[in-house]
Amino acid sequence: METSASSYLIRPNYKHKFKAGVAKEYMREILREELSGVLYNPEETPTLSRSLADSIKNKLKDVGFERYKLIVQVVIGEQRGEGVKMAARCFWDADTDSYAQEMYMNDSLFCVAAAFGVYFY
Amino acid sequence: MITKVLAKCSHVRGHNPERRRKERSERDGESLDRQQKDPDRDDIREKEKHRDREGRKHRDPEKDRHQDNRTQEDREHRYKEKRRERENRHREEVKEREGKKHNRGEKERERDREKDVEMKRTERDRERRSERDKKNEEKAEVKDLGVRVRDKEREREERRERHKGRENDHKPHKYEEKHRDVERKERHRDKEHKEREYRRDREDKEMRRSDKESSEADRNSSQEAGIKDGDREKAIEREERHRRRDKRHRETSESKRHDSERKHKESSGHEQNERTIRDKEVENYKTEEDKQSSKDYHNDYEEDFEDYEEDFEDVDDEEEEKRIIHDDTVKEDTELSPRRREDIEAIQRAMDEENERIYSARSKPTITESSVTERESLFNRVPKHGKMIDFVSAKQREVSLKVAKKQKKRSEELLRLIDLDFSITFSLLDLPPVNEYDMYIKNFGTANTKQAYVQCNEDNTDRDIQTEEVDMTDKWTQHPPESKAACGGSEVSQETDESTARMTFDSQRLTTFLRSATQVMAVLIEENNAESNSLRRLRSQTDAFSFSDGCLQLNTRLPFLHGRQVSLLQFSQVQRQTLLSVHPPASKTSAVRMDNETIICVWNMWEPSRPQKILLNESEVKCCCFSPGKATLVFAGTAVGSVGVWDLREHSGTHYNLVVGTEEWTLRYPTFSTDCVLSGMGHLSPVVSVEPVLATAETSLKSLITADIEESLGMSFQLASLDESGLLTLWVVVELPKGNDSGSQTDLGLRPGGKVKLLHSSSIQTTERLSQDIMTCGPPASLQLKFLPCDSSHYFIGTNMGLVRHGTRHRMKVFPKYYRSQFDSCRPVEVTTLDFSPSGEPLFLVGCSDGTLRLHSVLKDDPLMEWTCSGGSPILSVQWSQTRPAVFFVLDAASDLHIWDLTENDYVPVITKNIHNDRVSVMAVFGEPAKQNTFSGVALAKQSGTVEIQYFTRSLTVPNDSDKEKLNSVWQDLF
Repeated sequence: METSASSYLIRPNYKHKFKAGVAKEYMREILREELSGVLYNPEETPTLSRSLADSIKNKLKDVGFERYKLIVQVVIGEQRGEGVKMAARCFWDADTDSYAQEMYMNDSLFCVAAAFGVYFY
Repeated sequence: MITKVLAKCSHVRGHNPERRRKERSERDGESLDRQQKDPDRDDIREKEKHRDREGRKHRDPEKDRHQDNRTQEDREHRYKEKRRERENRHREEVKEREGKKHNRGEKERERDREKDVEMKRTERDRERRSERDKKNEEKAEVKDLGVRVRDKEREREERRERHKGRENDHKPHKYEEKHRDVERKERHRDKEHKEREYRRDREDKEMRRSDKESSEADRNSSQEAGIKDGDREKAIEREERHRRRDKRHRETSESKRHDSERKHKESSGHEQNERTIRDKEVENYKTEEDKQSSKDYHNDYEEDFEDYEEDFEDVDDEEEEKRIIHDDTVKEDTELSPRRREDIEAIQRAMDEENERIYSARSKPTITESSVTERESLFNRVPKHGKMIDFVSAKQREVSLKVAKKQKKRSEELLRLIDLDFSITFSLLDLPPVNEYDMYIKNFGTANTKQAYVQCNEDNTDRDIQTEEVDMTDKWTQHPPESKAACGGSEVSQETDESTARMTFDSQRLTTFLRSATQVMAVLIEENNAESNSLRRLRSQTDAFSFSDGCLQLNTRLPFLHGRQVSLLQFSQVQRQTLLSVHPPASKTSAVRMDNETIICVWNMWEPSRPQKILLNESEVKCCCFSPGKATLVFAGTAVGSVGVWDLREHSGTHYNLVVGTEEWTLRYPTFSTDCVLSGMGHLSPVVSVEPVLATAETSLKSLITADIEESLGMSFQLASLDESGLLTLWVVVELPKGNDSGSQTDLGLRPGGKVKLLHSSSIQTTERLSQDIMTCGPPASLQLKFLPCDSSHYFIGTNMGLVRHGTRHRMKVFPKYYRSQFDSCRPVEVTTLDFSPSGEPLFLVGCSDGTLRLHSVLKDDPLMEWTCSGGSPILSVQWSQTRPAVFFVLDAASDLHIWDLTENDYVPVITKNIHNDRVSVMAVFGEPAKQNTFSGVALAKQSGTVEIQYFTRSLTVPNDSDKEKLNSVWQDLF
């Protein structure tokens, strides 16, 4: 009631828009730092993936995607030769919202990190 | 077995009223106390409700109307904004609930009515107890099975409402009737039996139950109260549905009841079962209701909602509740009479009702809360303690509501501005499965393997292409070749120059070679022909000549020579086989073009079949000679006082070609003629003699050789011509380097393209000092000119006075001046011939027209010897033999040929041959001296025009020592 429709910020400033490339770089850095030489251990994996997701989220928060809600999903799996297929589908405003995805693989595990940036109007 | 278990369960249930009460009191704790504290208030509330319901009952039509209104409103506001819709709905819900409350009034009344009926039912109920328990079991199963959608609650509520209405109208009656009929029939039979069984079972079970009671109670309590609120609600719904189904089932089974009792039992069992379930529900709802009543004070909405919940539960259930209670009591007092039992039941029911209300009031809050949470998360702050009026939470709730509203509005406004859409499916990871082999290789593939290095040097290949550079030069050619080069190239190198030089050199050599070779070849062919043809004939003829070794005949039977005689024969001094024959025009003129012209034929003696060159001259040729060197030039003196020169090297193409039959003849006119030379320098009288003058004063044969060389190189020699008047003219023979085809303007006598011309050098009048002596005997005439072979400056001229004049070209004094006859000094006798000895001795022979022959020495005017031979006929020609110095030949006009050999005879000729059949007019002697294969002969021109060449025998040809000695002796005689 108090706010009129004209005062909504419908679009993010370009400077603050969620840039998949930038986010991807950060994610790659983090994944590389954290996962290089790591062997798959089923007991540690949950905590590891959680910490990865958190660190990615914190990193992305610092980048300055203003007014963005960030959702980070990290999946770590063991490399055993099985086929894996992951997909995501979003119901969002494609103009403002985007996602970045990065993958890391070594001999024993694969890790997929996906960060979804959803603009908060 | 099943019945047993069921019985046990039902037994447990049988104690339920008391137990439940206990349980609930345990469960609710303080709320129990609270209820006990406020029984009055509950009563008041109950009354109020009752009053309300009655009041509402009268408003029923209003409610219907209201419902209609609602649908209309729905329709009207369907397209309005969500907010308002929602508000409407909200309001309507409230209204609905209020409307439902009207039903409640009816239900109450019905319930009262049913209470009467209840009494009758108690018996039946007792029978069904066992079945009910069974149903309980089933219900549990159904609970497990039933996984149904939850979110269409409201719809279902409406449906429930409808059903309730229906049930209220019809069910009770049917139910009653039905049961009554059945019971009447079955009661006597089944009841006792079942009851007996029941009792027995119960006794057994009670023994065990006492043991298990505590645990079972726990279990039941957990079943009933321990169930989660959501589950319980689900259960309620499920029961509703179940009940409806049962009803249908019952209706259908009603017709079949008579046929099958067991079915009836089952169906009734179902019924019973349902009722127990409903009992439970009712209990819950009652508690809810009670609880709600406490809440009413601070939350109308909630109350309404709770009322609504209450409404549809308690209609049917109340009687069943009672039934259950009855069952419980009946179980204990089975033996009591129906009437008694009814009383007890009534009392008990009343008590239970009261209790139920209290319990439900206590147990309510949890249910309410759960249901509320389900619907509106905003109503979280429901106070746990119903007794306390929690204003703080209410405040909070209001605030949160406001916030929620604000957010909702915000979202609505935003959603208008924003388009949300489904993104495409992002593929986050697509890791294809690795097949077993690859996995194996990945894990173990490298185990126990070792890299073996192989070097085959395959990549170290060389590829080369070797090609020779193509040499390229530019060349040009031209034909016919200009100057010396027929071909050449832009590249100026010695090689090409050499090649061109060689080529030109070759061509020059080739032409000379061909020129000589053709002659040789022609001669050889000619000889072959002569061998086969003419020799036979000649031999027969030559038999007559004793001196002849052989003879051949020049072919003078040529068309243009027809009818001509030979006036002169002349051999070349160097090329001894070359012969000139002069054919003056025939006396009788003919139509032939060349008839008035003199023809000179150049013959090669070895090629007698045809003349090599044919020379023409317009005037009569008196004398002719070859050039001193090679026989390339022919000079001729004419009767008109001109001297002509023929260059035999000229190409035949520049001359007139006469085609006679199949043969082609080239007719050459003089290259240079002195006709056009200024008259002062030329001869004014017929030229009687032409003689080449060798430039060198050397006297030997060497001079001839050098002259030959000179001629071939630059060729400068003088020609002397003598005319009848005694004028001796010396000409310089000049060969031009290049001929001019267009003719010369200065040299008018030069033929176009001609290269040889005569330049007048000097003229000597040789007859000037012929004074008084000569005057007497007519004009002096010079007839013969000879130069001293050893000194060409000395000339000897034969005159018509029988004298030979001697002089030099340089007008020096010479001795003797005249050479005269031995007998008389001067008489008119023509000196017809004059010939020097070719052997080098200074001796010469003089032939005179009176038939006398003199041998003179140069040094003395008197002759050494003088002969008169052949009977005084004029001597035509006297010639020394070329090979033998002491032999000479004399031809006289009588056609007698005399051969003198001084070594044999000084006085008479050794051989005198008279040729009668064809008179010989001209004679020329030839021979090759100083050669190993010497030959000599004489050419005889006959009156018929034929030319015969006789070879002398070896005795006449080969010189011997006696010749020299004889000449020397003659020479010595002089001194």
